Amino acid sequence: MSVSSDVNDKLQALPEASAIALRLRAEQYFDAIQGIVDLFAAKKDLDVVYVTTTVPAQSILNALEVLEIPLDHVWFVDCISQIMMSTEKRHPHVIQVESPTMLENIMLKVEFLLRKNEGRNALVVLDSINSLAIHNNTKILSEFLHILVNNLRARGAYTVIFSMQEYESDEIRNMLVLVSDETTEVA
Amino acid sequence: MPSKEREAGSERERCVTGIEGLDHILNGGIPRGNTVLVSGSVGTGKTSICIEFLVRGALYGEGSLYLSVTEPTDKLLRNVIPFDFWDDKLVKQGKLQFVDLPRMYEKLGIDKDELSLEESRLLTDAIIGLVEEGHIRRLVLDSATSVAYRIKDPERIRDFLLRLGQSLSAKGCTSLLVAEIASHTDGYSRFGLEEAIADGVIVTGNLERRGDLLRTLQVVKMRGTQHSRAKYVLDLTTTGVLLVPLLKGGSVSGGA
Repeated sequence: MSVSSDVNDKLQALPEASAIALRLRAEQYFDAIQGIVDLFAAKKDLDVVYVTTTVPAQSILNALEVLEIPLDHVWFVDCISQIMMSTEKRHPHVIQVESPTMLENIMLKVEFLLRKNEGRNALVVLDSINSLAIHNNTKILSEFLHILVNNLRARGAYTVIFSMQEYESDEIRNMLVLVSDETTEVA
Repeated sequence: MPSKEREAGSERERCVTGIEGLDHILNGGIPRGNTVLVSGSVGTGKTSICIEFLVRGALYGEGSLYLSVTEPTDKLLRNVIPFDFWDDKLVKQGKLQFVDLPRMYEKLGIDKDELSLEESRLLTDAIIGLVEEGHIRRLVLDSATSVAYRIKDPERIRDFLLRLGQSLSAKGCTSLLVAEIASHTDGYSRFGLEEAIADGVIVTGNLERRGDLLRTLQVVKMRGTQHSRAKYVLDLTTTGVLLVPLLKGGSVSGGA
């Protein structure tokens, strides 16, 4: 089974408003994104709010465009381009957060996008816990995840938290178990 | 009467601000008729909060009045956040009114730099006249500090604020008085009088954390309701003012 199909199947099996930690390897990265955006979200007619702290939103957008995945209902909160002083033209579906340390602003931008598309069900992708852990200590990161996931759950939105297996620590694993309904490994 | 029933029975009518996060902090909104000081340094979101309060009020069908002291209305409206819920009809129908205070001074024949007791009372009466005439239920004075600068004398400032607050409250009008303060100052107003007279104090500020600058909001006082006294981070967006809790794990020791 392909990575994208595996991811889709795992998400399909979840009840609504679930929070899932998706443990994947670096080579599975773009296939996992395809499984979430193209297979799962498209089938369920969900808005996708993609929070990227790993690679600039434009790189993910480029990959999705190559795969001819429709982007009408995909929105990005880009926490990395600003800090990289990127001069790339801003895509209308991308909102910038100055730095991955501004965790409250990430919550605010997610809230903004959900409000902008009020009435539609949503899925929020957090890419990734490992990148966030580079910029934030465990204490504030746990607090952030706890509040964000519970808020999204209350709104009926799905949450998918990426964790790159190569960069996981015990602290990160414990944090994911604490905030997620399920932790699953991509085959 | 059991205490719980007494509490429920004495629950004051709320003026729902329409700013979801703020209404949550205030346990349902500002108690109707309260005079609230919105205090903060420049660029912290005071005016945006006040404008949203008025626009939401007008959308609920309540007469809403913005008294601008320092910035002409046309300039203010050019620079205000283009709220998704803004409706030009509100202004055309008179539900949402903007008045430049300098014009009011002219009409009242107030041309001196310093307002006498009589002139400050004349100003209060003129504002109350507007409230009565326009069936105003929500008022913003932006800023009370600028008026206070013109009054100068602390006793006369106290008299102006007290009379204005009491008269507005008697009319069931909930008001926000903007207070400009310098950053890193103690107290919530330039003259130290405003916060003592107001029924509520909402403080906006900037919090620097590891080089990041976050806009914050905190309700430090609100008569007539239980409320959160925690600090929140705010964002000014086209969908309105958004608030989330300040993450405690990131607090700077002794920080703002």
